[in-house]
Amino acid sequence: MTSAAQQAVADELRQILAQVTESAALRAIPLDFPLLQAGAGLDSLTATLLLRKVHRQFAVDVAREDLNLSCLATLGTLAEFIEQRIAARADPVPLTGPASPPGMTGPAEPANGKG
Amino acid sequence: MIKCVVWDLDNTLLDGVYLESGPASRPPANPQMLGVLRELAGRGIVHAIASRNPPEAAAYAARVAGTEFAAAECGWDAKPDAIRRIVAELGIGADAVAFVDDEPLERAEVSAALPAVLVLAPEDAAEAASWPQFSPAVVTQEARRRGQMYAQRRRRQAEARAYGGSRDEFLRRNGTRVVIEPATAADVPRLHELSVRTHQFNSVGQQLGARALAELTGSAGHRVITLRLSDRFGDDGIVGGCVIDTRAGLGWAVPLLMMSCRAMGRGVIDALLTWLCRAAAADGAAEVRMPCRLTPRNVPLRVALAAAGFRASPGSAAADRAVYRCELTGALPPLPSWALDRTRE
Repeated sequence: MTSAAQQAVADELRQILAQVTESAALRAIPLDFPLLQAGAGLDSLTATLLLRKVHRQFAVDVAREDLNLSCLATLGTLAEFIEQRIAARADPVPLTGPASPPGMTGPAEPANGKG
Repeated sequence: MIKCVVWDLDNTLLDGVYLESGPASRPPANPQMLGVLRELAGRGIVHAIASRNPPEAAAYAARVAGTEFAAAECGWDAKPDAIRRIVAELGIGADAVAFVDDEPLERAEVSAALPAVLVLAPEDAAEAASWPQFSPAVVTQEARRRGQMYAQRRRRQAEARAYGGSRDEFLRRNGTRVVIEPATAADVPRLHELSVRTHQFNSVGQQLGARALAELTGSAGHRVITLRLSDRFGDDGIVGGCVIDTRAGLGWAVPLLMMSCRAMGRGVIDALLTWLCRAAAADGAAEVRMPCRLTPRNVPLRVALAAAGFRASPGSAAADRAVYRCELTGALPPLPSWALDRTRE
């Protein structure tokens, strides 16, 4: 079942998707819509832009936390992944955790980096 | 190392002021500056324009200089802003830029705003060309045509924005051609250059020396593959390649895979990964294995690997390593129609 929080994340993702692909039609895609290749047509460039915007907007570094990027399967899987990370943050965390390694899609990187 | 020279036009690259003379008698190119420009272009350094003239001055300068500029910023904006936009468009650092302008005030403004930029007066430009930061060790065919390729990319991107169809339709419409073939000794300098310059599509983030590449090219247990890219906008030459270790018994191992980010979004990486799986399967391999170093910069490669059906398991040695595998079971996807497999000829 999809929670209201996931729906809210999905709505924001639809906006980001429409932006990075310059395709307004993606504002109306269902949750089970595939993101890579034939679906939303994300390629290396647009998917990386999406992940960077997600990092900035939700403070979730998908590239670092999902080795296989399998959460890019559909809009729903990505929304669920992000919502779970946000929810986990609200839970109490131990004071002495390991320091976070540097981000994978940090905002410092230019959108059109060298080679 | 300087990768781009940004030129002012009036009394710098042009022998006079563009707007002062009427349309019938525009100033010619300054012969000395033109000499510097051509010499540097021959070394793979690209050229750009930052001028307060109207945009048509850039086309005029390209005509009288007989060259294509990688980027042109014309208008009333401050020169540092123009240079920032050029740096962003070309995807290079400000420390890879030299700026030539006859106006001391403009030079001072750029020096203050962008201290990494090498700022030169026209009279110093000729001598500067002999400085080491203008002299790359290896100059490949691809490097010499870099300026032209940036101009082609600009035209391609403008058409892509105007085109409503899918990416694949756009690639086919433009006569995109990706040729996959075995590397020869002549390709070694370019492959070495790619191993140094690629980051977003580099599996290990490690430079491979020319000698090591030459040995691998002649090794019986390895295959070195090049990818050439062209379309109706122009020929990009070799834009990528990979090294395959075929000795591994059960599968193919890929110790290095790399592609220029200029080829991003043009169907090259999809063609290479599909070819790898099909060729490995045809050779009797059960899987393709690619050790990767995970960096903040090579996320685009990981997206391509995920889309091509590769899955990773964390490496045992370090947290930033993982081995991506594609099991070669069932029907493999066909090569895209724009890819040409010349490895079996």
